Amino acid sequence: MSIYLPIAEMSVNGLLIILISGAIGFFSGMVGVGGGFIMTPALIFMGVPPPVAVATQASQITASSLSGVIAHARRRAVDLRMGLLITIGGVAGSTFGVWVFAWMKALGQLDLLISLFYVLFLGVIGALMLWESVAALRRRASGAAATRRRRKRGWAHRLPMRLRFPQSGLYMSALPPIGIGVVTGVLAAIMGVGGGFIAVPAMIYILRMPTNVVIGTSLFSIIIIAALVTVLQAAQTRTVDLVLAALLIVGGVIGAQLGARVGARLKAEELRVILAGVVLATALRLLWDLVARPTEIFVLAS
Amino acid sequence: MRAALLLLAALAAVLLAPPAAHAQALRRAPDLATSISDEAVSVTSDYRGARLTVFGVHWRRGRAPSDVVVVLRGPSETQVVRRKRRIAGLWINTDPVRFRGVPSFFALASTRPVGEFLDGRTVTDLGLDPGALARLEGETPADTDSTSYRRALVRLKQAEGLYVLRAQPLLLEEDGAFKATFTIPANAPVGVYGVDVFLFRGGRLVQRKPDEIVISRIGIEKTIYNAAQRDPLLYGLAAVALALASGYAAAFAFQRR
Repeated sequence: MSIYLPIAEMSVNGLLIILISGAIGFFSGMVGVGGGFIMTPALIFMGVPPPVAVATQASQITASSLSGVIAHARRRAVDLRMGLLITIGGVAGSTFGVWVFAWMKALGQLDLLISLFYVLFLGVIGALMLWESVAALRRRASGAAATRRRRKRGWAHRLPMRLRFPQSGLYMSALPPIGIGVVTGVLAAIMGVGGGFIAVPAMIYILRMPTNVVIGTSLFSIIIIAALVTVLQAAQTRTVDLVLAALLIVGGVIGAQLGARVGARLKAEELRVILAGVVLATALRLLWDLVARPTEIFVLAS
Repeated sequence: MRAALLLLAALAAVLLAPPAAHAQALRRAPDLATSISDEAVSVTSDYRGARLTVFGVHWRRGRAPSDVVVVLRGPSETQVVRRKRRIAGLWINTDPVRFRGVPSFFALASTRPVGEFLDGRTVTDLGLDPGALARLEGETPADTDSTSYRRALVRLKQAEGLYVLRAQPLLLEEDGAFKATFTIPANAPVGVYGVDVFLFRGGRLVQRKPDEIVISRIGIEKTIYNAAQRDPLLYGLAAVALALASGYAAAFAFQRR
C-alpha cells in the first residue's frame, strides 16, 4: 500500500508505517511509556526527513496521551492542579523549543541537534531503565520484598510560592512542577517525544508525588504540550505531515490500547529489559553516525 | 517494422495534439516532430513516481542525425552544500557553499555518451551538464575551490536518484525515429519540467526543440500541501483536532469492548 506524503515529499509503504507504529505502541503500552522516543528515530531511519519526523510525531503523541488519560481520569488518578502547573511550564518550554528548532533548521544544524538530544537522553534513560529493571528482576529472584521508603520533604518542597495539592496530599512550592514542565516542553519540541520519560521520574523523585497519580497527571500535561508543539511546528517550520500523522495515529493509538490491556496481566520487568536494550541500541546507532568517519563528507540542504 | 510503428505513434501524437501545439511544433522545427507520453503528471495519494517517454521522428531523407540527446530537467532551486568536519569527536556540517540555478532533477538520454561526440565546451553551453548549470554564490572556504563542492552536489543528487546522467541509451532507428524513456522518482519535486531534444550530426548541433511538462499535486495531496503553506495555523489546529478526535474515539472503542 504505497502512500505519498505531501509534506515529506516521498512515497512510503503505508501499511508498514501503521504496523511499525502499532508494534511500538503495543510494546510501549505494555510497559507504560509513550514510545515517541523509539518511533521518531524509526521514522528517521526509514528516510523521513528528521524535521518532519519530529514535528509529525507530536500529533501522534497528542492522540495517544488523550486516549491514555481517559482511563486514569475515570479512576480520579489525575492531579489537575499539578498538571496545570506542569502545563504552564510546558507552554514556555515548547515555545522556546520550537524557536530553537526553527533557528537550527535555518542554520542547517537541526539534524545534528536532534541526534545529540537523542544520543544524550536515550543513552541516559536506557542505562537507567536497564539498571532498574535488572535490579527488580534480581529482587524478585531472591524473593526479597521491595523496601518502601517513607516520603520525605525534599529541597523542592522548601522553595517559595507554596500551594496545597489535595489530590497528591502535598503542600509544596509551585516552582518545581513548572520547571519540570519547561524541560518536558523543550524535549517535546526538539525530539518529538512526550517527555514522560523525564517527567515521570522527576514527579516521583523530586516532587515525591504518590505513584498512582503520576502517570495520569503527566499524560494530562503532555496532551496540551504536544498539541501546542503540533500547532507551533505547523505554523513556524511547516513540517507537520497530516498523512503521516494519520498513519502514525492509527497504528500508535490502537497498539498502545491493546498493549496496555495485555500489559496489565503481565509482569513487565522482562519487557523493560528488552525495551531498555532497544533504547540503548538506538542511542548507540545514532552516536555511531555522529562519530564514525563518514563515507561522504559533503551534505546537501535546500 | 518497429521504426514504422514508432513513426506512426509519433505522427498520431502530433496530429491528435491540440492545433496550437501542433502549429508551434511545426514552426519551431519543420522536419522534427516530437511527442511526450504525458504532458501532465499528477501527484496523487498513491504516487510512486512516473515514467515518461519522449518519441520523436526526423523526416528529412538522407540527412538523418547521427546522434540524439534528450534532457529532462526539473525546476531550478538553490542548494547549500556543506562539508563535514570533525569537531570535538563529532562529524559536524560546516563550511556552507551556496549554489543557485541548480536543476532539482536532471536526466539525460543519448544515443551514446555525450563525451564521445561533443567537446566539453559544447556540453556545458548546451546545458547537458547539471553541475555546470549550478551558479556559485559567494565564497568557498579558503582551503578549497568550488570544484569539489560542485562534484559533491552532482554526486549527492545522483545518490538521491535525482540526477540520472546515463539514462538507458536512446533508441535511434535508421529512418530517424527515436524514443527515450525516463523514470521520475517520487522524491523529485513538483513543477514545470523542461524536455529538450537535441539532434547532432558529426558533433554539430543541427536542431534543438524545447518542450515542457508539468508535475503537479492534485486532489487531497494538493489540498493538504496548500493548507500547510497558506494557512499554517489552521493546518496545525486541524492536525491537533484529528489527533484529539482519534485519541478520544480509541479510548471509547476500547473501553466498551
